[in-house]
Amino acid sequence: MPMSDTKGISDYPKPDPASDDETVAELRSLLLGQAELQLAEVHERLFDPHRQLKEISNVLPDAIAVRSRQDDELTTALSPTVSAALERSVRKNPQPIVDAIFPIMGPAIRKAIATALGGMVQSFNQTLNYSMTTRGLRWRWEALKTGRPFAEVVLLHTLLYRVEQIFLIHKETGLLLRHVAAPNVAVQDTDMVSGMLTAIQDFVRDSFQTSRGDQLETLQVGDLTVWIEQGPEAILAAVIRGNAPQELRPVLQDVLERIHLQFGTALTEFTGDAAPFVATEPLLEEGLQSSYDTAQHVRKSSGKINPFTVTAAIVLLGLLVWGFFWVRDRQRWNSYIEKLRNEPGFVITDSGKQDGKYFVSGLRDPLSRDPTALLQGTGVDANSVVANWQSFQALSPQFVLARAQKNLEPPAGVKLTFSEGTLEAEGFASHNWIVEARRTARLLPGIYRLRDDKLFDLERIEDPLLLFDLDQVTLQSGQEDQLNRLVDDLNHLRQLAGDRPVRLEITGHTDGSGTEMRNDTLSQGRADTVAATLRPRLTSWSNLTIIPLGTKEKLRMEMNDSDRATNRSVKMKVIVDDNH
Amino acid sequence: MIQKKVCMVGTFAVGKTSLVRRFVESIYSDKYHTTVGVKIDKKVVQLNGNELTLVLWDIEGSQTANDLRKSYLRGAAGYLLVIDGTRQETLSEALELHRRVTETIGVVPFLLLMNKADLTSEWSISEGETSNLRNRGWEVMKTSAKTGFGVEDAFRLLAEKLAEA
Repeated sequence: MPMSDTKGISDYPKPDPASDDETVAELRSLLLGQAELQLAEVHERLFDPHRQLKEISNVLPDAIAVRSRQDDELTTALSPTVSAALERSVRKNPQPIVDAIFPIMGPAIRKAIATALGGMVQSFNQTLNYSMTTRGLRWRWEALKTGRPFAEVVLLHTLLYRVEQIFLIHKETGLLLRHVAAPNVAVQDTDMVSGMLTAIQDFVRDSFQTSRGDQLETLQVGDLTVWIEQGPEAILAAVIRGNAPQELRPVLQDVLERIHLQFGTALTEFTGDAAPFVATEPLLEEGLQSSYDTAQHVRKSSGKINPFTVTAAIVLLGLLVWGFFWVRDRQRWNSYIEKLRNEPGFVITDSGKQDGKYFVSGLRDPLSRDPTALLQGTGVDANSVVANWQSFQALSPQFVLARAQKNLEPPAGVKLTFSEGTLEAEGFASHNWIVEARRTARLLPGIYRLRDDKLFDLERIEDPLLLFDLDQVTLQSGQEDQLNRLVDDLNHLRQLAGDRPVRLEITGHTDGSGTEMRNDTLSQGRADTVAATLRPRLTSWSNLTIIPLGTKEKLRMEMNDSDRATNRSVKMKVIVDDNH
Repeated sequence: MIQKKVCMVGTFAVGKTSLVRRFVESIYSDKYHTTVGVKIDKKVVQLNGNELTLVLWDIEGSQTANDLRKSYLRGAAGYLLVIDGTRQETLSEALELHRRVTETIGVVPFLLLMNKADLTSEWSISEGETSNLRNRGWEVMKTSAKTGFGVEDAFRLLAEKLAEA
């Protein structure tokens, strides 16, 4: 039955494939019409490379501009290609590049070399200045004296410049974009200063026919310098007090370059509103601070100290210290020797220094002061002194007198003086002392004579006896003259004694007859009698002591009546209180 | 704060310096004219509550327009063209100066100040000449440095023009 089926279908007219396509095309053209043409053009635009090139070339410059404003992706993407292209181009034919950059390279290289040389010469000068000059040594001395590190002292002396103000000026208009100043700097109206700085640059350029691109770089008045750095859109003017080192230039240049980089658009579009440039302040302040950075550089370079200088300085210092002590010790020793020379009782025959020790030799009177004690206050160490003294007797008056005092041992009532070979004794003394003194004084060197006519011999009071009859307490008659003499002598003695407390002892004696009790009473009565007789006549004597001795301490052994008569008596004794 | 560079232009002895002396802040002496050829002064104008700082470049009065230092004009946002109202020739000199300025920095706002307005008896600029200038679109004002007449107004008017520009 499949046969019949086939037959059935074949009854319809068979469609022609070619005429079918035409029909579809016709239909499509009817339905889509104009759009088909456009579609064809889109197709051509999309797939025809020539057409594409033309299209992109139309929008490329604008597209680049738009994207550049948006972000820097394009720059990042293009960088490697541009670098590679440049490299290849240079390798292939460097001449065009050379021609292009030649006009700017020349001045740039010249400037770079000049700046570098300037900096080098300056740091070379600094190094020279600090190592071998007196100034360098003076600074080292100052560092030593004040205990500050040497580097700090150098810093103090070399940090003699300061960037006081920085002006960022719009190049075209001379208007001030931003101004910064160091603390405590007096600032004039910055708008006007900015304008004037620009005017002066114009003036110099116009007046002296400088070549294009050359600008005024430095203004200098006294210790004030204005450094002007030129950029394409802006100028940086730094007002510096003192000697600014050349290293500061690149710092300022760098600040200006970074400002151009970060504020390029704002600079190009500037019409008088300085507000966007507030943000340049941190950058500008770097310029102010750079004075400090440069100072650190100075510290570094000056830190390279010539070892020879250090050694020389140390040796010199050592010599100075040693010299100081040497001179000081020498002076101290000389003043000690001078002191000894002037000291009585010393004769210096030799002095000096040997084996690190001072020595002195000569003659010394034993009565002179201790030479070791004389060292006190001279600053000379006693252990550093070797002394060799020979004893001698000095004949100067004070030594003669001192020797007399020592040998004669005068009692309290005696005063010795010495003058021109004569020793004089004044006052009062016991008879024994006077006799001894007369003998001894003549043996003492320097004494040719002893004068004792002003010396009161106590014998005059102590020798005479006041006599009494047997068993009597009244004075034997005929003793008035003796009594008168005694009174005179006692009053004279009292005068001689002056303030010295002298006491008169009145001792009563009896002969051996009679009882002891009777004799005691008798001796008491006799002493009382004498005291009573003398007292009214001895008004200056306040102290009369009565001692009744009876038969004790007999004046004489009683061999006969004469001895007994002598023992019936009263005797005087003068007591001087030595403790006075 | 907005700043504008403004030049004072005029031939010799028209009273430019006198004109600014009493009305501006100054730290430089007149000697700068004879040395550097320009003196910088400053005028702060209040404009609708805002301050506009005019940095005035008072350029040395030259004998002829050719002597004008062009570099001092560079970057100016506007200028004051000053003449001496008692000297007819200063007007023609000013016209020449104006031409030179426009040549150098292009067309910017400016005012023509006819100074010495207090000397009415010696006045030599006719009303006709004045209105001719006004017809050319020029802003013309009479000022007197001596009495102060018109000076503040002139600065204010220029400031307004600069703010609009």
